[in-house]
Amino acid sequence: MTEAAVRVRGLWKRFGQQVAVGGIDLELPAGRFVGLVGPNGAGKTTTLSMVTGLLRPDEGTVEIAGHDVWRDPVAVKARIGVLPEGLRLFERLSGRELLAYSGRLRGLPGAEVDKRATQLLDVLDLAGAQHKLVVDYSTGMRKKIGLAAALLHNPEVLFLDEPFEGVDPVSAQTIRGVLERYTASGATVVFSSHVMELVESLCDWVAVLAAGRIRATGTLAEVRGAHPTLQAAFLELVGAHDRHTGSDLDWLGGGAVR
Amino acid sequence: MTSVTSTVVRLKLSLLRNGLRQSGGRRAAFVFSAVAAVLFALAQLLGLLLLRGHAHADVAAVTGTAVLALGWAVLPLFFPSGDETLDPTRLVLLPLRPRPLIRSLLAASLLGIGPLFTLLILAGCVLAPAHGPAGYVVAPVALVLVLLSCVALARTVATANVRLLTSRKGRDLAVLSGLVIAVGAQAVNFGAQRLGSSGLGQLRPVADVLSWIPPASAVAAVRSASEGAYGTTLTQLALSALGLTLLLSTWSRVLTRLMTAPDGSTLQPADAGTRDRAGTGGLARLLPGGRIGTVMERSLRYIWRDPKTKAAWVTSLAIGLIVPVFNAVQGTGSVYFACFAAGMLGIQMYNQFGQDTSAFWMVATTISSPRDAHAELRGRALALLLIALPYSVLVTVVTSALLGAWSRLPEVLGLSLALLGAMLATGAWTSARFPYSIPQEGHKNIAAGQGSLAWISILGGMIAAALLCAPLIALTITLHVTAGGTTWTWLLLPTGTAYGTTLTCTGLRLSAPRTASRLPEILGAVSKG
Repeated sequence: MTEAAVRVRGLWKRFGQQVAVGGIDLELPAGRFVGLVGPNGAGKTTTLSMVTGLLRPDEGTVEIAGHDVWRDPVAVKARIGVLPEGLRLFERLSGRELLAYSGRLRGLPGAEVDKRATQLLDVLDLAGAQHKLVVDYSTGMRKKIGLAAALLHNPEVLFLDEPFEGVDPVSAQTIRGVLERYTASGATVVFSSHVMELVESLCDWVAVLAAGRIRATGTLAEVRGAHPTLQAAFLELVGAHDRHTGSDLDWLGGGAVR
Repeated sequence: MTSVTSTVVRLKLSLLRNGLRQSGGRRAAFVFSAVAAVLFALAQLLGLLLLRGHAHADVAAVTGTAVLALGWAVLPLFFPSGDETLDPTRLVLLPLRPRPLIRSLLAASLLGIGPLFTLLILAGCVLAPAHGPAGYVVAPVALVLVLLSCVALARTVATANVRLLTSRKGRDLAVLSGLVIAVGAQAVNFGAQRLGSSGLGQLRPVADVLSWIPPASAVAAVRSASEGAYGTTLTQLALSALGLTLLLSTWSRVLTRLMTAPDGSTLQPADAGTRDRAGTGGLARLLPGGRIGTVMERSLRYIWRDPKTKAAWVTSLAIGLIVPVFNAVQGTGSVYFACFAAGMLGIQMYNQFGQDTSAFWMVATTISSPRDAHAELRGRALALLLIALPYSVLVTVVTSALLGAWSRLPEVLGLSLALLGAMLATGAWTSARFPYSIPQEGHKNIAAGQGSLAWISILGGMIAAALLCAPLIALTITLHVTAGGTTWTWLLLPTGTAYGTTLTCTGLRLSAPRTASRLPEILGAVSKG
């Protein structure tokens, strides 16, 4: 596929004096597993919020599958699924009620919502907790129910902000399996992370973000270049490669009494 | 003082000091509550000292001690976050033995406004029945025993319930505690009034029983000593001492178990999924389909399940009933007070999206046109009407019945419905225009820095609602002052209903495009704090 799933031009966002996102131009290819990587505070969440219509940019345009996010919300909101980071869910609903609510809000027929919810709860290993209130869920379970809600209407593009943060290895593997199956059918996943090993093993396309700007984009091989790992390439790109870990901690280590 | 004790005491002092350093408001609140508590305690102390020599002085002293002890036992359940040293699990990683730990925690508990308040009142309690040298010897012993018992009681209850207090259900309970305390205060008020009218002697049998129950028995020992009944004195003191010892050993046991056993709150109960929540399924089938029904169902579930929403609704329902009905019972009320129910419930329409907290993003991602926003607002208004409409009718009927003012029922009902309509309309509009965040933890209902926004929203909205109702109020007055007009006041019922409906529909229609165009701004406002 050659058409861009997401096209961002001149995106800016300032919070007071601080520039959170400083002029981002980005084209994310469709049908790929795209990783948006960067250190904490690089502007990943701000960028994803603006791309998904949850935060109004100061400047710039965002198009998803050719539709402008801010001028054509009808076309865009039906085509995207979102799992934000740091925002709550309707936690006083049970897992199943949350899916039923979310699917019906999107105008899907009730019977279809219930069928899809049952399958998603099964695949994501939440069937046993489906009648428990989401407020009593663990972090991993919350991410999974959020993912289920984001997938329910079968979006073309899925945006996930730190989907693996604080998630146990078993849940992470489940989430991975679902996402891989989803992209294999031609859909696009855009997810943010600061865990390079994860991005390296999952993504085929990477955008590196630091201090509110894009430092590199391209396929995994292109961004990695001559470096042995994405981690090494990343440290070089954000300029943190040769920082010394300090020679003053000579007292630290086994053997000494105090 | 051992080093552990002094360290924990200093920790408590640092926590107090740092808490006060955080903000001027907190400092002011601390000083105010300290001054108020000390003044109140001094007044009680003075009152108890004035009772000296009175035949029933010991009744007041013993009962007062028992009530104080009860207060110490109950309070930590409602204010779990008040004292960080109350949560011993924070010390779990330190290599401490139970005995020094108990000693140091007990010492730290003696610092604060609460213990000072208790000390002053207890001084009154032990001095009121004391006379003669033996009485004055026993009094300080009793004071120390009771004070330590009170503090140990609070600690034991808090420790035994740490799992509950740090769990979600415990925090839910804390949000509702304000209501419990308000109701409890009413009961105390009622009891005090009865006591005032019939004298302390009535409590004599209660006090006789309490005299043998620790820690009140220590105060009773002061009277026994003053009367020369030394055997009784010793028994009562021994009872109190035994009570304190048992309390401390229970606390020690609970504490050891708490700090060595794994925290079960994150373990998944094996059969959590089997509980069926199909109860609302029947109701859900009666709701309209599409977005409106979905939104209604969620709103109604939240009234029951979300502690903040529930507390707000219970308050509105209670005040909406109490003001007109109590006034009517006392014969001072007017039947027009029945409009209070509609007004109080209408307030629930305000800051709709703030009630969602940052979960509003789920709503925002599904609103892509003013039409979606209109359905969202209509669903919320209908959920509210489902309760507010029958409730307003009920309160109006009850008030009219109590006052025997049946002839005014139609016009009051008409005014109520018009007011409800106006509140829904202005509520929807301010929800879109002036959203603000409601913090989920604690008792505060407005996030820091958004106070003025909340006031603009609620106060301005209510003034606007009153102005919107002005034509109908004018019509009511006109009908009453015009000769023969009162025969036509029934007309106000259909007029008010139609007017209220029109206001609501117009309000929702005007608010919808505003909501749809301000989604990111609303999300930003309700996600604060």
